Amino acid sequence: MSDDPLLSIRDLRTVFHTDEGLVRAVDGVSFDVGRGETVCIVGESGSGKTVTGESITRLIRSPPGEIPDGEVVFDGQDLTTLSDDALRDLRGGRIAHVFQNPQGALNPVYTVGWQIVEAIQLHDDADQPTARRRAIDLLDRVGIPEATRRFDDYPHEFSGGMKQRVSLAMSLATNPDLLIADEPTTALDVTIQNQILTLLDELQSEFEMSILLITHDLGVVAEVADRVVVMYAGKVMERGDVFDVFERPSHPYTRALLDCLPGRGDGTGSIGGHLPPPTDPPAGCRFHPRCPHAVDACREGEQPPATPVDGDEDHVVSCVHYEPGGDPSVVRGENGGTVPADDPAADGGRSPDVADDGRPDR
Amino acid sequence: MRWYVVRRVAWAVVATFLILSITWGLLAITPNPAAEQMQFQAAASGGSAEAAEEAFEARRGLDRSPWDRYREYMINMATLNWGWSQSRSQSVTDAIASALPYTAIYSIPTTILSILLGLSIGLYSATHQYTKTDYAATFFAFFGYAIPNFWFGIILLLVFGVQLGWFPVVFDSDVPIFGLGMVQQLVLPVVVLVTGTIAGIMRYSRAEALEYVEAEFVKTARAKGADGYRILTRHILRPAAVPLMTILVGDILGIFLAASYLVEVVFGIPGLGQLSYNAIIAQDTSLVLGTTLIFTFVSVVGNLIQDVAYTILDPRIDYGDR
Repeated sequence: MSDDPLLSIRDLRTVFHTDEGLVRAVDGVSFDVGRGETVCIVGESGSGKTVTGESITRLIRSPPGEIPDGEVVFDGQDLTTLSDDALRDLRGGRIAHVFQNPQGALNPVYTVGWQIVEAIQLHDDADQPTARRRAIDLLDRVGIPEATRRFDDYPHEFSGGMKQRVSLAMSLATNPDLLIADEPTTALDVTIQNQILTLLDELQSEFEMSILLITHDLGVVAEVADRVVVMYAGKVMERGDVFDVFERPSHPYTRALLDCLPGRGDGTGSIGGHLPPPTDPPAGCRFHPRCPHAVDACREGEQPPATPVDGDEDHVVSCVHYEPGGDPSVVRGENGGTVPADDPAADGGRSPDVADDGRPDR
Repeated sequence: MRWYVVRRVAWAVVATFLILSITWGLLAITPNPAAEQMQFQAAASGGSAEAAEEAFEARRGLDRSPWDRYREYMINMATLNWGWSQSRSQSVTDAIASALPYTAIYSIPTTILSILLGLSIGLYSATHQYTKTDYAATFFAFFGYAIPNFWFGIILLLVFGVQLGWFPVVFDSDVPIFGLGMVQQLVLPVVVLVTGTIAGIMRYSRAEALEYVEAEFVKTARAKGADGYRILTRHILRPAAVPLMTILVGDILGIFLAASYLVEVVFGIPGLGQLSYNAIIAQDTSLVLGTTLIFTFVSVVGNLIQDVAYTILDPRIDYGDR
């Protein structure tokens, strides 16, 4: 095993050509996923986290999607320049995906067994009995009771949580190195969410894989992440070790997100304002229209570069107040504690859509 | 599911029975033109119109009770004794049997071609939505939809039959059925029918496939590493086949029912459509009845096949033991 990260994303840009104009869904995103590590991308809906996940193996539909520049280096290979055939080998081979909605992720007209066997046989020369045995083993491993009997059942005969387990079994079919899980628990109810997260955790050590978990739920992040990437409007606002980010949240957006968590801040916070229009993001820092600490320097030029927080190269933030000559205490307050979010009365009626499902902070 | 199929078949039998009964009822209350003619002749030659009517009815067995007549009619229907065609001087079943192959030789290739071409063009359009090829296919489809079959047939005959002389203008039924000559004279009718039916199949398969192109499970299939062809056939076409069954059965029945009249008359093919058309012109009641019932049975069987196909194609449809 080398010391290089398994996945290294540099200045990734993904744009969509739409009738309303060019949507820069992912606009210069950089982060690494180490071997055996769990990295979480957090952000509210529309922040570009799903597109980031789907850009890695170019799952985005093209057209209208396009990846004009950036690098996605997976185990030393740049996936953005890889041929379609080679990429197909990676998809479902070394890089597996699990999607948000288990109801839709399985094809309704095939048995779950058929779909797992398909995943196995697309990458291995396993004959039918062998593939069937492996599929039953996988179903058993992800906690489907009576796996042999359920093998021939159709997706509509499973509950949502069970379907997500089937999806997981399918993604593990070829023993992947990287599992990209896009909100795998969002569509499930809270008790099932925990079961799936625990299962993911067990499977990670068993299959020795890295997980890139995309979520809007900071509670999930606190539970499973090693490292966190906070995204907003297609940009990375802050990234670092999960303890650093939760203990010393540095970007005003991260702080606002954390303040929305029950049991943290005043527990009733919501972030005022809206995501900027995707076709016409504001100049300067993307978050400045909603930021309580915005100054003139935030409103012009480009998104500020990723700056180490307190000299820690592994914890970076994109905020003018942390740049050389800036004053981080503007954001952190004198004692470095959390600051209240923007006045909720001025939020323009936006409902709190971040961490709003009442998960306790751990 | 076996029980469901049994019930569908039973229902098809009941439907056929009802259709036959209603047809009999309508015929029973319709004034008979032959009887009127008899009465007119009798009156003209100074005889009694009423006596002539009674004599006619006695000869045709119409003086018996409606129940007896109904029972005999149903027995005749069931035993394929469908009456005598006066205009063709042969039994109705013989007339239909001799016409059926001519309908089959153009409608079977038409069905196969329009499903194959319609599905492939539709699927291609769905996966290449809003490209130039998609627009071209859409233009072609609406051209086929909009142009009247019989007019298109006449124009093709004029251009390729009369002016260029590539294809015969008049259908020759003496040409052996399995031969190049037959293929040559079937090209134009098949082209006319295919341009008409392909459009519906293409537009529907495009719409149905589009619903699935964006589906989550198609993304799952791509994430599993399936290639484009596998995704198209296994993950888009297969689920789309369920709703497509309806339009496919409808279109195929449409070829038999409506298009065959126009095309057979324009191209002079001695098939079922022309048989029925000539029977109507000649007021040959038993032959009209016979040809109409053939079309009706085809519809009943088509719908039966469609209902059974649904349960086979879509595992979510489960009627239990109802």
